[in-house]
This record gives sequence, C-alpha cells and structure tokens, in this order.
Amino acid sequence: MPVPNRPGPNRRQFLQRAALLAVGTPALVAFLDACSKGGQSSSAPSLTIAAPSSPVKWDIPADNTAIADGLGPEKGGTLQLYSYADYMAPEAVKSFEEKYGVSVQISTFNDTDEALTKIRGGNVDYDIFFPSYDQIGRLVTGGLVRPLNHSYVPNIKNVWPFFANPWYDQEWRYSVPYTVYTTGIGWRNDQVPADIGALKNPYEALWDPAYKNKTAVIDDWHTAMAMVLLKLGITDVNTSSADDLNKVGEALSQLVAATSPKVTITMYSDLPAGQIGLSQMWSGDIINAQSYLPEGVDVDILRYWFPADGKGLVDNDLMVSLRGGKNPVLAHLFINHMLDPEVAKQNFSAIGYQPPQVSINPDSLVADGFIPENLKSAIVRPEYFDVGYRILELDPANDTAWHNVWRTFKAGGS
Amino acid sequence: MTVAEAPSQPAKPGRTRTNPLWPTLAMPGIIWLLVFFLAPMYVVLAIVFGQVDPIFRTPVPVWNPLQWDATQFTYVLSRIGPGGAYGPALIRTGVYVLIASVLCLAIAFPVAYYVARLSGRWAGILLAALIAPFWISYMMRMLAWVNLLQDDGWVNRIASLGGLFDVRVHWLTGQPVVVVLGLVYGYVPYMILPLYAGLDRLPQSTLEAARDLGANRVASFWRVTLPMCRPTIVAAVLLTCLPMLGDYFTSDMLSASPKTAMVGNLINDSVQSPGQTGQAGAFVMLVLLATVLPMFYYVRVTARADEVST
Repeated sequence: MPVPNRPGPNRRQFLQRAALLAVGTPALVAFLDACSKGGQSSSAPSLTIAAPSSPVKWDIPADNTAIADGLGPEKGGTLQLYSYADYMAPEAVKSFEEKYGVSVQISTFNDTDEALTKIRGGNVDYDIFFPSYDQIGRLVTGGLVRPLNHSYVPNIKNVWPFFANPWYDQEWRYSVPYTVYTTGIGWRNDQVPADIGALKNPYEALWDPAYKNKTAVIDDWHTAMAMVLLKLGITDVNTSSADDLNKVGEALSQLVAATSPKVTITMYSDLPAGQIGLSQMWSGDIINAQSYLPEGVDVDILRYWFPADGKGLVDNDLMVSLRGGKNPVLAHLFINHMLDPEVAKQNFSAIGYQPPQVSINPDSLVADGFIPENLKSAIVRPEYFDVGYRILELDPANDTAWHNVWRTFKAGGS
Repeated sequence: MTVAEAPSQPAKPGRTRTNPLWPTLAMPGIIWLLVFFLAPMYVVLAIVFGQVDPIFRTPVPVWNPLQWDATQFTYVLSRIGPGGAYGPALIRTGVYVLIASVLCLAIAFPVAYYVARLSGRWAGILLAALIAPFWISYMMRMLAWVNLLQDDGWVNRIASLGGLFDVRVHWLTGQPVVVVLGLVYGYVPYMILPLYAGLDRLPQSTLEAARDLGANRVASFWRVTLPMCRPTIVAAVLLTCLPMLGDYFTSDMLSASPKTAMVGNLINDSVQSPGQTGQAGAFVMLVLLATVLPMFYYVRVTARADEVST
C-alpha cells in the first residue's frame, strides 16, 4: 500500500532549511568561540616541574602580592574551605570559629584533579584549598593561589624543618604542610594470616592468587602505578621510559588475572567492614580504619607495612590560600591555627592523618595512645622524607603515556 | 496512538499545507532539542576534536570545524579493534546490556500482562506497588544491595542456612553476574510501566474476534496480542537498554573491579582524568552511534504499525 501523502518536507523545503542551517552554523561557531575566550588565556606559559634535585622558588608576580602586615580579620564573612570529606576535625574548626567569631564552611571534592579543574573554572570563592604537593606548580603558574604573608603564620616554627623550606616551594612562599602520609600495604590478619611485612617483596602479595577477590589498589593512577614500579624493583616512580611503562602495563594485567582487585579509595571503610582483606593503603587510612571496625571486632586485626628503611612512597598535603577567596586575612589566621600543636593533635586524632609537627614524637605516639601497637608502622617519621620516593608532576607527554597505561588497566582487558 | 489516526480519509488538501499554528506549537520541543541536545552535542564534538591545555590538562574546545584535530578520536578508535585495550570493555557492555534486557523483558512482560489484563480490581494497587521503587533513588537501592551482598551480609547468611554451610561468596569483587543482576534490578521498573501502558490499551474487541474465529488462548496471544504489542516491547526495551548502555554506577558500586568495567566506566574515568576528556567525548560519540541504529529500527517498527492500522 503506497504511503499516503506524509507531512514531511519536500525537496524545496529541504534545500531551504539546509541553507538556513549552513548560514546558522558559522554564527553558532562565532558565538561559542566568543564564549570560550576566557579559558585559553593561560595556555602560553609552560610548566616548571619541581623535584628534590631541582628545587623551585616560585615567583611572586606584581599583580598577585601577599596581603599587608597587621590587618584585622574580615568581619561577618564566612571562611570557605575546600577539602576532601572527613579530612578536618570538626572541633578544630569550631575552636577557630569561637576564637574569631566567624563561621567556617567546608566544601568537599573527591580528588584533587577534579578540585583543581573547578577552581580554575572560576566562580568559586574558596579561601583555603588542601592540595597535594605535586599540584603547586599548576596552582602557581595558573595564578590561582595567593602568596603567604609570613608574619601571620608564626606557627610555621612548629613543623618539621624540612617543610619550612621544601623543594617544591622554596621559602614556603605559597604553601604550608597539612598532613604527611606513607603509601604501603594494609591487611587484616584474620583474613590474611601471613605476615605480609615479613615477605621478601611485600608488594607481590597483591599478585598472590591466594588472596583473589580480597584485594584492592588505590584508585589514583600515579600512586597505584608507582607501587607497581616499586614491586618491579624500579625506584624511579616518575619514569619517562616507555620500557618501564610497558612493564607496568603487563604487571597490571597480571594483577587483574591473579587477584582481580577492587580499584577504589574507600579502603578505610571496606577493609574494616571485611570486604577487603589486603590492600594498597595510605597510612592515614589504616589509622582511620580503626573507627570503622564493626562492634566486637578487635583493633588488633589491622596491620600495615611500610618499608622500615623509609624507601617507599611518602607524600604530604598542603594548605594554600586561594586567590579567589574573599577572606585572605582569615585564611592566614586559619592556616596558623591548624599549625598550632594542640589543634594539630586534635585534628590527627580525628582524621588519622599525621601533621608534620615537631611536638609529635613518632616514638611516643604508641605510648601516648594515639596509635595502637599493631599499627606502629603507620607512623610517619621525618627521616622518611630524606630517603622516600616522591611522586612528581609529569610533563604533558609523559603524563599522557602514564594515563594511557592506567586507562587500559581500568578498562579491564578481556 | 493508532486509534486517533484510524479515520484517515484522503486528506483534505488544506491539512498538509503550512498552517502556522502547528510549527508554533512544536517550537518548545524544537528549542529544547536545540539547546539541550544539539548544542551540547556540538560542544562534545569541539572537545573531542579540540586541544588540551598544556598546563592544567583540561580540554580546550575548538569551535571551528576547519581546525579540528582528530588525534584523540583516532586514538580511541585504534584501541577498539582486535587486541585493543577498549574493545573488550565495549563487547562486555554489549553482552551485559543484552543479557540484562532479556532478563528484564522476561520478568517485566508477565508482570505487566498480569496487571493490565488479569488483575481486575487489584490493578490500581498493583500499579502503585510497581511504581513504588521509583520513590527510592537508584543510588540508595544499589547501596542497599551492597549491604545485602557483603561477605557477612544477608545473602551469604541466608545461603548458609543459619551457619549450616560455610558460604563465603565474595559477591562484590568483580562478579559479572552481580553487575548484570544489578542492572536488571535497577531498570526493571522502567520496563514494566511502558509494557503495562501498551498492554492496557490493546483493543479488547480484536482479542474477542480472535477467540470468535476459533483461536485458542495460546494462539490468540501468539498471533494477535504479541504482534500488536511489538512496538510497545521495542519501546520498552529501548527505554531500559539506552540508559543501561551509559550506566557506570552499578558496576562502580557492586564491583569496582576493572574486570566488569563498562563503557560508562570508561567515560567516567576519562572525564575525570586530566588530559583525557577528549577520549571521554569519543566514547560518548560511539555510544550515540550505537544507540541511534536501534532508534531507527524503532521508528520503522512504529511507522509500519501505523500503516497496518490504517
């Protein structure tokens, strides 16, 4: 049966409309082009990459100087913090609010790359951001952080000397340290009776089929792949060798075949809940895991390994004052507040991540009841920062090569 | 749908001529399509074929098609073929969605059929019960399953019959079965409702005619009911299948293992990695292409149904 006369376009109408579209498209292009002008301005400068062997003293440009000395705190404003969830003790915030009569609001992000993208997009007025040290290059080069006026932060004297002049930010022009942590292996000895830490190469336990369906690795490309490099005996955790990356790729496919790990950052709750028995883990997360244990499960089952000689991954997070913030003086005061020994200890107890405070003696943390005996190895020692391996920013080409290996792993293979 | 058009006598010449009222009424829809579909689609294209900021590794869209750079798109394409890294994930997605859709249909059709045709005065209550899962967010429903499927969760406890057997199934560590069943559980209400709507509107007279003309119950179902609700079935399958194709949350919550990564996970991972947003866009384009084809099939099926009914 022939199709009845449909109300569709005939040939003339079609041509007319196509012409209209052809005229319209360039207008749309021009419009969108105009919209995007703001985003492209900072593409010109290239990125300086700081490393222990090449310390960087970031410039302070004329249009982004520190605040003047002796200013009073802003009145009536709300200090905006931008941080991971559960990464700041509510009591520490409360004592600041009471001291200065202001309110503090915490916004959270899932990972710092996501946070950086949002900050760079503008339209946010966060005062303080808690990045990892390997992001400071992008933050400074992009003009997103404000240099610090040291006269507001006398408590810098309380931090480990290394952090008063770190290689990633000489003269601490833009940043102060917030927490320090190591990346090792956590396990529960009821599910994994073997003493992982006593193995010749503890990293290899994650490849042991005996623990199939019980393991996890950290869902962070650099941290996870650096662990694979260390397992392979390669200590350049920022390697630009294609050969090394191929080996990492192969080791990752073997990992999936052998133990089928979860790739997640919630091991601090999954391990105590019993879903995971053995996991790559941050030291702060295993300490935090104590508070997630179900009732009746003893803290004693938790174990953590990090090389006793400190030759593993060591990291630290920072506090920086964002340029978009409306309360720069309060931001300085808050940074100083968090470096206060008592506040820092209080914060440590709440979040499990250790502040690099001189007053916190790694040898007495167990005796003082901060950390149980069985998690002694999760204590971070200053000397780790002399010998440990540091994750650095990668140049764009290498960054892409690393990401491609990681994406292949996460796509799951066959 | 078909009944309204049934008395389509040879159309009066004036009816198909341009009457400004109808295009005007269609404007909101067209504007919606332009602003929320075509323009975003163009932005995705501009990002896929655009550049990457050298410092922040964020995508820099290129709006002028003459300056488009296909590197990121070809990178993804070259890894889809045999031996490529992304091929298995795409095949896995197809298989999961296919199995989940078939299971959804197997569950939803009898339920919808019963509610629409056999439940009598209970229809209203049953329908409300079917809509009830919509009141709870998808995320909450998946989180509930995470609790049930934990090693010491209720599923293992019930399977062990109160400790008689030692059941230690690790449901949540990369089990494809769990992901597929999660998809089925999550999307089956979306299948039941359109099927119910379609089955409810089947003209009773046609079915009576079939019985009058000597077809038994099975034959009238097979030769009358089923062919008449084919467009409904296709619509219902599409309605669940398309969101399943982009689903990453189910796999994230119930497995988090690369072994069950679906194309949605690939998109989600690459959107969040600096410098990889273009690849995410490329996957979006591929999924779109893969879903447009069944859409055309749907349009053809419904068009044919209209012809049959006239």
